[in-house]
Amino acid sequence: MPSTDGVIIKKVLPIIYVIDTSGSMSGERIATVNAAMRECEQVLRDKASDSPDNELKIGALTFSSGAEWLTKTGLVSLEDFYWNDAKAGGVTDLGAALNELNDKLSRSAFLKSETGCCVPVIIFMSDGCPTDSWEKSLAKISAENRWFASARKIAIAIGEDADTDILKKLVGNVEAVVRSNDLETLQKLIVAVSASASMLAGKSRLANDEASGGEILDNALTEVEGDVEIEKDTAPVDEPAPAPVDTGDGWSDDDWS
Amino acid sequence: MAIFEKGTVIKTEFGAPIEIVSYIAGGGQGDVYVVNYNGKRKALKWYKAGVMRDPDAFYKNLKRNAEHGSPDKAFLWPDAVTEHRDGTFGYIMDLRPEGYYELGKLLGSPKYNFKTFKAATDACLKIVSAFRILHNNGYSYQDLNDGNFFINPDTGDVRICDNDNVAPNGTSTGILGKPRYMAPEIVVGGGKVLPDTNSDRYSLSAILFLILFLSHPLEGKRWLVPCLTDALAEKLYGSEALFICDPKDSSNGPVRNIHTNLLNRWGFMPDYLKDMFLKAFSKEVLFTPGRRIAEVDWLKVLVRFRSDIVNCSCGNETFIQNAATTKCDRCGKNVVVTNVLGLPAYDMTAAKGSRIYRCQVGICNADEALDPVMAVVAKPTGELGLKNMTSLVFNATTPSGKSKQIAPQDIIPFIPGIKIEAYGKTVELK
Ligand SMILES: Nc1ncnc2c1ncn2[C@@H]1O[C@H](COP(=O)(O)OP(=O)(O)OP(=O)(O)O)[C@@H](O)[C@H]1O
Ligand SMILES: [Zn+2]
Repeated sequence: MPSTDGVIIKKVLPIIYVIDTSGSMSGERIATVNAAMRECEQVLRDKASDSPDNELKIGALTFSSGAEWLTKTGLVSLEDFYWNDAKAGGVTDLGAALNELNDKLSRSAFLKSETGCCVPVIIFMSDGCPTDSWEKSLAKISAENRWFASARKIAIAIGEDADTDILKKLVGNVEAVVRSNDLETLQKLIVAVSASASMLAGKSRLANDEASGGEILDNALTEVEGDVEIEKDTAPVDEPAPAPVDTGDGWSDDDWS
Repeated sequence: MAIFEKGTVIKTEFGAPIEIVSYIAGGGQGDVYVVNYNGKRKALKWYKAGVMRDPDAFYKNLKRNAEHGSPDKAFLWPDAVTEHRDGTFGYIMDLRPEGYYELGKLLGSPKYNFKTFKAATDACLKIVSAFRILHNNGYSYQDLNDGNFFINPDTGDVRICDNDNVAPNGTSTGILGKPRYMAPEIVVGGGKVLPDTNSDRYSLSAILFLILFLSHPLEGKRWLVPCLTDALAEKLYGSEALFICDPKDSSNGPVRNIHTNLLNRWGFMPDYLKDMFLKAFSKEVLFTPGRRIAEVDWLKVLVRFRSDIVNCSCGNETFIQNAATTKCDRCGKNVVVTNVLGLPAYDMTAAKGSRIYRCQVGICNADEALDPVMAVVAKPTGELGLKNMTSLVFNATTPSGKSKQIAPQDIIPFIPGIKIEAYGKTVELK
């Protein structure tokens, strides 16, 4: 008889954190984000290690004066995911982060996999206003990078100064932005959003719902108590993101028809 | 998140107390606790407020299911529904026994693999049999997936949970199902086509395939796309669904070094079993919900397969071919099949431990399909006998034409030529 050993083959589910580490994040804010990410290590291992639905892989990109991957060599699997504290200081180069994403969200970079990937989840966290020419970078990545365009994107606005209009543009108006004004809620929110993102594929669907960043957030919010200010605006953003085009970067053969 | 403290008492709709003992875990729709109820340890599922589309209809359905009682002991069926509290409610069911794990874990983690193919086959049998009874009682399950089954990987015993979406066939609780387990018509239905018995039967076939082949029936070459977007998933599991083993169209076929489970196992399996999967996932059946494989047809091939899994003296489970002596694929020795049982539809391997089930002889009711009718037993010398496992007396004819009777529990020597009349059919010893 054949061996009874083995596991079902799985696609990779990339969860990518894009974290603002500018000067305004220093002190309690960055400490809270670090604490939340350390909690995520355990929570994701508990929830997702034996998942038959996909194999979770984590990426983390920070941006301040420039952008830098904490996971330098690529996405890491859960057993290798240990959070190294991010430090804050500098300005808010969101555009640099988007350029980095554009570079690495590719089959020839971070999204290399024999079995292919599920739609990536990108979780943005920011407490301020970008200082660089982020709009150009957003237009570029939205137009060029289908991974980014198709990703389920969620943004967590930290504190009152975070510009949710910008975050809305970043994640697209049908997706999800949430603001948290106190640190305790922030920590819970980061953990709940991560857990919810990891379990989306395992969830049974109801009539008329869709697997969007918005749904990841809704599921997370039912887990979180406290005053979370939800801004899920369905009003269109000023400039709709341009339709993605094929650039040949791995995606032109995404279809078999 | 636990919202009830240990010691909190809630009540059933009739006022009986339910005392919280401990928290087990949370899921998308709610939390599960260990409770004391009616002098016993039970499980309480407590829904989160606000997650249901129509909580009143859901409550009514749950209540009706509890009143009707469990159709089969494999179901962790609602015993009682609770009162409303803080805008929501829950229900009581049996606890999952020790040593049982979610099917998803068995598929997703090497720690929980089935010990043997006999155990895997037994799990399939239990699942199919339970769904046969459920469907025959007029229910559809609606949300069949790898999270609904608690399975003991050593024995193949099964408990079916999440029975809260079970509803009379044709009614809807708002659930569509879990991605990768939904039938093609549900996937492409845009929320307008709702689950029923036929879509249950698709999901059931997928579950059986996953258990026996450790592979998803539709996740072949096409599934390996760089990014499985929602649009591609809708084609793969819906509008362009194509079996990984489709004999006429290999465009979604298995890929060497990737689909290794499937490639390792497919060749070993007997044709009658493969044929059933080929039929279940043929384009015709995939896209014609009314033609889905009925549970009884699965039962027939699964009991046959079970009897063809015979332990070699080296310990290896050998799959017997054509009910004849087969070489063990591990040690190379022959696993000798000296005798077969001529059933109405086919010859079945007769080895120690082989069983004839009720569904193998003539038409039967859902709840008796897996009742053993006869079992092959052996003396320490190896000499085979056949035991009557029913409470009926069977008439038999010896090779020389004499009539004999086989009383319940009686064992007759396994002599080729004996013919036994059972349920209007003949079983011949060969
Ligand atoms: N009868 C039971 N005995 C013991 N544990 C149980 C029982 N029923 C459910 N559980 C456990 O409780 C947890 C949540 O249960 P369940 O799957 O019913 O939640 P859910 O809200 O339907 O979640 P999901 O949306 O993920 O299906 C799971 O870990 C499950 O294994
Ligand atoms: Zn052997």
